[in-house]
Amino acid sequence: MTTRLPLMQCCAMTVAALIATAMSGAAPASADATDEFPIPHRMIVTTCDAEQYLAAARDTSPVYFERYMIDKSNRPAYIQQMAEDRIHWFFSLDPAGRRQYSEDTATDVYYEQVATHWGNWAKVFFNNKGVVAKATDVCTNYPRGDMSVWDWR
Amino acid sequence: MAFGAVTAAILLAPGAHADVDTDFANQLHGYGIYGQRDYNAWMGKITCERLATHVDTTAFQSATFLRGNLDRTTSTQQVWQFLATAVQTYCPEQTPALRAAADSSHTTTKEQR
Repeated sequence: MTTRLPLMQCCAMTVAALIATAMSGAAPASADATDEFPIPHRMIVTTCDAEQYLAAARDTSPVYFERYMIDKSNRPAYIQQMAEDRIHWFFSLDPAGRRQYSEDTATDVYYEQVATHWGNWAKVFFNNKGVVAKATDVCTNYPRGDMSVWDWR
Repeated sequence: MAFGAVTAAILLAPGAHADVDTDFANQLHGYGIYGQRDYNAWMGKITCERLATHVDTTAFQSATFLRGNLDRTTSTQQVWQFLATAVQTYCPEQTPALRAAADSSHTTTKEQR
């Protein structure tokens, strides 16, 4: 026991030193939005509507889409409707408005009220740059305003 | 050739075991189709769901969907083997869609002779 204590003290000091070094080298956290975060640029500039985008994501990122739809189907109906209404509102904005919204949600965690009810309410639309890239590439090939795309489960 | 693969896949389908996804993966391995087990299982189930909800109305559309979402090295024959195995494993009630595709292919082949 007498030999262990110095060893523990030694290791504790080493760990403390490592943590201090890591913290001093860490970049300060930034809450500002960028052209790609939290909403990818392609989502900001796309001319597709929500249904065109969603149909494209269904075909180009099927597992991601499926998981989103399963998550959605596990929410109360009024939350699901709230999410659909909110994403329609988002798509009604011009690129400048979408960019401002991206800024607002990045700088104020409570700005998006739907997110307080369902944290991942817009995951298929905002959260994955690759998913957005693949879907926005082809979304103009799908019909506008086809609400049947929401009826997945 | 692809439709021969469909028929063979239906005939060679093993009996059900405890873990359906594992059975599915094992059968895909027999066709030289690898990749993530979970992803392939998702793709099989989603393919069935698309047929059930009429997002895809024919097996040809299912094959197009799979071709776009399976590994790029997957051959046409393997796409059809994947489709047939998925239907057999997860939605055998959709087997008529496969047969219809095979029949239309046979008809087209005969007309071309």
